[in-house]
Amino acid sequence: MKSMKRWPALALGLVLVASACGGDDGGSDLLSEVQDRGTIRCGVNDTLPGFGIVDDAGVYSGFDIDFCRVVAAAVLGDANAVEYVPLIPADRFTALQSGEIDLLIRNTTWTATRDGQEGANFLFTTYFDGQGLMVREASGFTSMDDLVDANVCVQTGTTTELNLTAIFNARGIPFNPVVFADNTQLLPAYQEGQCDVFTSDVSQLTAFKATIEGEGGPTQLILPEVISKEPLGPVVADGDSEWAQAVEWAVMATVQAWEFGITSSNVNGFTSDNPNVANFLGADGFETGIGLPTDFAVQVISQVGNYEEIYTRHLVPLGLPLDGTPNDLWLNGGLMYPPPYR
Amino acid sequence: MTGIINEPGQVTNVVWYRNVKVLRRVGQTLALVAVVSLVLWLFNNLVSSMNRLNIGTDFGFLSRPTQFQIPFDDGFDPRSPVRDMVLVGVKNTFLSAFFGIVLASVLGLIIGVARLSSNWLVAKTATVYVETLRNIPPLIVIIFFGAAIFTFGPFPVLSEAVQIKFPGRSDNLLILSNTRWGVPSLAAGPGAGAFWMFLAGAVLAAVAAFVWRTRLHERTGAPLQRMRYPLGAFVVVALAGWLLVGDAYAVSWPVVRASARSIQGGFVLNYGFMALTLALGMYTASHIAEIIRGSILAVPKGQSEAANAIALSSFQRYRYVVLPQALRIAVPPVISQYLNLVKNTSLGVAVAYAEITSLTVSSIGNGRPAPQSILVLMAVYLTFSLTISFLLNIYNRRIQLVER
Repeated sequence: MKSMKRWPALALGLVLVASACGGDDGGSDLLSEVQDRGTIRCGVNDTLPGFGIVDDAGVYSGFDIDFCRVVAAAVLGDANAVEYVPLIPADRFTALQSGEIDLLIRNTTWTATRDGQEGANFLFTTYFDGQGLMVREASGFTSMDDLVDANVCVQTGTTTELNLTAIFNARGIPFNPVVFADNTQLLPAYQEGQCDVFTSDVSQLTAFKATIEGEGGPTQLILPEVISKEPLGPVVADGDSEWAQAVEWAVMATVQAWEFGITSSNVNGFTSDNPNVANFLGADGFETGIGLPTDFAVQVISQVGNYEEIYTRHLVPLGLPLDGTPNDLWLNGGLMYPPPYR
Repeated sequence: MTGIINEPGQVTNVVWYRNVKVLRRVGQTLALVAVVSLVLWLFNNLVSSMNRLNIGTDFGFLSRPTQFQIPFDDGFDPRSPVRDMVLVGVKNTFLSAFFGIVLASVLGLIIGVARLSSNWLVAKTATVYVETLRNIPPLIVIIFFGAAIFTFGPFPVLSEAVQIKFPGRSDNLLILSNTRWGVPSLAAGPGAGAFWMFLAGAVLAAVAAFVWRTRLHERTGAPLQRMRYPLGAFVVVALAGWLLVGDAYAVSWPVVRASARSIQGGFVLNYGFMALTLALGMYTASHIAEIIRGSILAVPKGQSEAANAIALSSFQRYRYVVLPQALRIAVPPVISQYLNLVKNTSLGVAVAYAEITSLTVSSIGNGRPAPQSILVLMAVYLTFSLTISFLLNIYNRRIQLVER
């Protein structure tokens, strides 16, 4: 009978040894997985007009949405092969880490801590933004120093929350944050007077200002101080550089096309004496080894458009100009400078 | 064939795969192996994924600065470590849960009894209340209360707050707005320490009175009266202490700050706390009302009939006959409802209340490792729940009806 008492212990020992032998599975290979699957799972915003919003029919539209479509057009040849996963800021990195989404294009700011701690890999910045503060014009606030003791509406899980705390504390301005996880609750709280100030990226503030005033609400004022740098762009998970490169070159193709003067209306049959243009459009089967099809640029531009078209379609109507801002092409003095496709 | 029936002490040899004892051991071992290997595989999977993504697998994040400000909490320094944030979250969860439980118990008892009233209007109102609130998910109730009472409700913004003055004085008894309410509180003065010593003495006096009445009753059969004498002793000693010390506590009146954006002094209730506590109190009350109603109906009908036969009034019947028996039955299910209330406070993020779940969500959203943060969160709720059920189970065992 003694041997029988030892069985559970022996079995347990075997199991422990066996599990210790299990290693991790090395780097993942998302590019081939996405190509096999036939759709891209893109984490997006569904409450931000201009960047990512869903209408009553369930159709997503916006600047970031269009970049999801750009990646789909490049990798899969079909801009509509996207499965949109709406996320609140508090969940977005967890979704990326767990593999629930392949790609996060959700007005996400690139910071060092996020690079290090979130297992995230930030790619080409598609929108250079900054954080601002919005108040009701009738409130009489004209600058940040007037905001002593103010109630500030802010969304949790964002760099906005952290910047607000850091800047206000550095200036010695006491304040009280009114924090929600979801944008849809922040706006009613702000409009009903539960907070005096609404803080977010200036692009978001412009979108909300247009929405509030468009519905007949009181005039809003975006305070002159821009209190941080917010470079927004697509994000992928760490550990898969093949996928990261494919996504990045797909996105940068839109800016490159803008630089060459290629638009969705003239891409078919576009000729130029610049030899780089021919390679860019995939003539003679030019191969870079990135893993994208040779004609990916043609697919992207014809199905979605170049950067200027995407920007003008979604952001100019909100009141965000392109000319003269950091989002302008480098030839015009902006920061959009795509590496050469060579 | 010899040996079909065993002599005493004789052991038959059975093949091991037909020996029930062996099979049982093997079965249990296999089950144990299966469960343990599943857990280990899950854990291994998690750790290797986190290593692949270069996310730390330790608990060091608890010592790093929080970096964000906690809503409606003036005293919190964002540079303090995350474990301080956890303590604030625990405190806020406790406050909301405690007052929610008190409200739910009182309201639940009243409505439970009301449902059995012979007055048709009272009974129907209670029924409508119970059936409405019981069948709506708690998150919806919380958002509704937050929106209907505060965001879109009748209270004005703080700059135009309703200030109800204390009669005869210019100080505010109550300040009402759509983000904060202010009520007067007691602020400790220089004599507070001395006063607390008097309070300790008052407790001792109450205990002494309790013991005295018990002994007196045993010796002479005098009525127990173990409520009024200890209470009286406590009040007398405490009052004496108050008058002798003089400046123990002063009233702190709430005042709207000149900036008209917050309240200074007094006790400030923020709207998240009020919406959450009120909503959960009323929601859980609807469940507790049903439990109370069920346990009242479980008391044998003969008890009520006997009470009527000796001409007890309706109130006396409930107070001395029915409820003492009914509440004993009600204690275990009510314990579950209390635990549900504590867990439902995790919905506080819907009304911007900084309880522990909402703070953990903010913390994870700002870069703290998710698995470890969730483990800490689970530990907090486990501690709350196990403590409540442990204490209340002791109480339950003492008052349980013992069947002979």
